[in-house]
Amino acid sequence: MKVFLNGLKVIKGEVFIMKDRCKGCGFCVTCCPMDVLEVSKKFNVNGYHFPVVKNPDDCINCGLCEILCPDFAIWSVLKEERQVVEV
Amino acid sequence: MVEHTDELHPSEYFLQAGSIPSIWCPGCGIGTVVNTFIQAVEKSKIDFEKICVVSGIGCTGKVAYHVKFNSFQAVYRNPIKRASELKLKNPNLKVVVFLNDVDFMTSGAEGFIGVGKRGVALCVIYVNNFIYRIFIEHKALSRTPFIGTTVENNIESPFNIPHLAKSCGAQYVARWTPLHARRLMYSMADALQKPSFSLIEVISPCLMYYASNGIIGRSLDRVSFFYDNSIIKHGEPTENLDIRPPNKIIVGKFVDNIRE
Ligand code: SF4
Ligand code: SF4
Ligand code: SF4
Repeated sequence: MKVFLNGLKVIKGEVFIMKDRCKGCGFCVTCCPMDVLEVSKKFNVNGYHFPVVKNPDDCINCGLCEILCPDFAIWSVLKEERQVVEV
Repeated sequence: MVEHTDELHPSEYFLQAGSIPSIWCPGCGIGTVVNTFIQAVEKSKIDFEKICVVSGIGCTGKVAYHVKFNSFQAVYRNPIKRASELKLKNPNLKVVVFLNDVDFMTSGAEGFIGVGKRGVALCVIYVNNFIYRIFIEHKALSRTPFIGTTVENNIESPFNIPHLAKSCGAQYVARWTPLHARRLMYSMADALQKPSFSLIEVISPCLMYYASNGIIGRSLDRVSFFYDNSIIKHGEPTENLDIRPPNKIIVGKFVDNIRE
């Protein structure tokens, strides 16, 4: 097991949400593979339910939410990248 | 967690200031197609000053307003012809055409065939909204709560766009749905590099049309219905690509060769 893990990269991302652009389509919330996002109970200025971050530590910076969002309201950036060294 | 942010979206540079939130309905696939296109441009490292976006009428026509590439909307006559004139006069440009059903069929089919046969190097991104009734047997949709222009089965047979494109001489033909965003992005990046006529069909049903029949579900359900009912088969012969009810929609990359 040690051999396999060695050299693997662990990637953490950070999600940014521009909530007033969101139109509440729900693509990002449903398609996130790590279940990072959830739909907020609040409304934004246009009256839509925007996404909020539920589990900030789980984001792997896959960028799926960023590419799916029709309104350019959400994106992720690389926060931390480290290589697993033999333990 | 950041909710309010002064940081900018990575694609902000390619968007017309103040045009977002876009004009499209919540959950419409056109927005995702534009997002994907911008990422494909970034990825393919084409000089973006050489890209020119041409769009036609209707919802897809608004693409030209939202992106900050050189762009225009061909409201009169068909966008493919306008785009090919542009390309023939400025061979250095990379011309991308966004089409919908109406551009394509009411005036566009003739232009499409002519331009394809001449091998003008356009990249055509065709967003199939399923509005124009000959493009799908609506039986496909009546199995679900989503019904298009005909409530009962459509008596006309469906129209096979990838096959038409291939017969017209397109050297790159692919079909995806908006939720296949990554694959769509790689397809677009490929098509942008081709020195020949290429077509990408995006199955992105018009949500409002289905909602207007009184059956209002979440927009996401309607989009993901097409995602769930598609099957990826690369290199499938284009004759088999009709969208017919009991069968799944075949998506993938069907033709990829370069005209010598
Ligand atoms: S980058 Fe990926 S893991 Fe992170 S929130 Fe977006 S979809 Fe989820
Ligand atoms: S994909 Fe974009 S518009 Fe849709 S809910 Fe998420 S942030 Fe809002
Ligand atoms: S859902 Fe239909 S009406 Fe709304 S923007 Fe999309 S294509 Fe146009």
